[in-house]
Amino acid sequence: MKLRVDLVKCVGHGRCYVLAPDLFEEDERGHCVVLHEEVPGDLLGQARLGEENCPEGAISLQED
Amino acid sequence: MAKNPDLEEGRVSLFDADFARCPQPVYAALRDHCPVSRALLTGAPVVSRYHDVMWALRQPEIFSSAMEMQLALGTDRPMIPQQIDPPEQTRYRRLLDPHFSRRKMEELVPAIRAEADALIDRFEKNGEVEFNEAFAVPLPCSAFLSLLGLPHSDLDFFLGLKDGIIRPQKTHPEEFEGLSGVESMEKGKEMRSASGRKIYEYFEAVIDDRTAKKRDDLMTRLVHAEIEGEKLSREEILDICFLLLLAGLDTVTATVGCNIAYLADNPEQRRRIVADPGLIPGAVEELLRWETPVTAVPRVVKKDVEIRGFQLKEGDLVTLLLGAANIDDEHFEGAEAVDFERGRNIHLSFGGGPHRCLGSHLARMELQVAMEEWHRRIPEYRIREGETPRYSPGIREVMYLPLTWEPGSRS
Repeated sequence: MKLRVDLVKCVGHGRCYVLAPDLFEEDERGHCVVLHEEVPGDLLGQARLGEENCPEGAISLQED
Repeated sequence: MAKNPDLEEGRVSLFDADFARCPQPVYAALRDHCPVSRALLTGAPVVSRYHDVMWALRQPEIFSSAMEMQLALGTDRPMIPQQIDPPEQTRYRRLLDPHFSRRKMEELVPAIRAEADALIDRFEKNGEVEFNEAFAVPLPCSAFLSLLGLPHSDLDFFLGLKDGIIRPQKTHPEEFEGLSGVESMEKGKEMRSASGRKIYEYFEAVIDDRTAKKRDDLMTRLVHAEIEGEKLSREEILDICFLLLLAGLDTVTATVGCNIAYLADNPEQRRRIVADPGLIPGAVEELLRWETPVTAVPRVVKKDVEIRGFQLKEGDLVTLLLGAANIDDEHFEGAEAVDFERGRNIHLSFGGGPHRCLGSHLARMELQVAMEEWHRRIPEYRIREGETPRYSPGIREVMYLPLTWEPGSRS
């Protein structure tokens, strides 16, 4: 599964890096940085949590 | 008004005491029957569905934050960045966001934890307290002073000024005695301006001080910050400080109050977080959603637009009802249940789109620390028998929240 963030939509709510810290980081402004575009199998739960908790719908998780 | 909302007339009262105390049934009725209603008295459109509220928040070119009526809060100019639109707003956010990031806010945790503890020290042994005045009001003000690098001895000064602007009638009732409605409004405006002047004067002096001598604090960073190679003007710094003061204090006060009032009233939920403090971050999010202490945000319509068949006209002052959006069952599973372990919680209590609350990471941190320290020190508490908490409309501050507990009940 591939993880993508639309940085035009991201406004820095910061839910992703709080709820899924192994997959997301914050940049200097507190906006989203994806740590692993290719999601390791054991982090799939975190990936979904990050995706579904973005109020801006900026994160997408897609089949390769 | 007998019924709220009045569905036949499509009207809702957002400023009565019952609504402030318990807004959720009103939200549910609007959601199910009247997605765009009109505010009682002003007739201003009120938008209630999650999808519509979020859509509006993301369209600043249609739903503008630049509005003259907000200048009524004692300022000479719009507050930065809340009352200006992109693209200027974006420049300020680029500058300010790094100072309010989650990582930066983490640095304030020890100071705020110590302050929460010191406040509780004052009344824990009494076994009772009026929560708002003793805890919910001073804690965010103390955080504000720590953040900006201002002396904590100025706490009472700030609280007085803030109330002088937000609710002069509460702080100086004698000034309003015997006045007619119109006279009261004029009096309020005059008192707001007077408090506004004092705030400007105070921060002018701080700017002078930090210009002369750098310190390790946010005021120094604002004074020396640059946008595209240019320093902020004195007026810009003042307009930012004004926002931090007015937006950062009452909102967290209201939220801490709403949380503790809810938990005092729902002992099973309270015991769960006492037993497992790891639930606190989830509880903070869920109570932000359920209570939505900042019930709504205003916007001005810049061009005619239709929402669900309802015509909004250029110049309309629209209310985006965040609280109603937050219990929209299209976006929340079991929207009317309070679930601290909710998996998906995309509440709009900090707004959304380009104006997402600048202080959201600060607020979350303050709320989590407050919940942790309070329940560590005073795990069992209830509302004093025979008493009812009092909520203010608009921002749902629990103005009166009398609590009791057995002193020394700490587990």
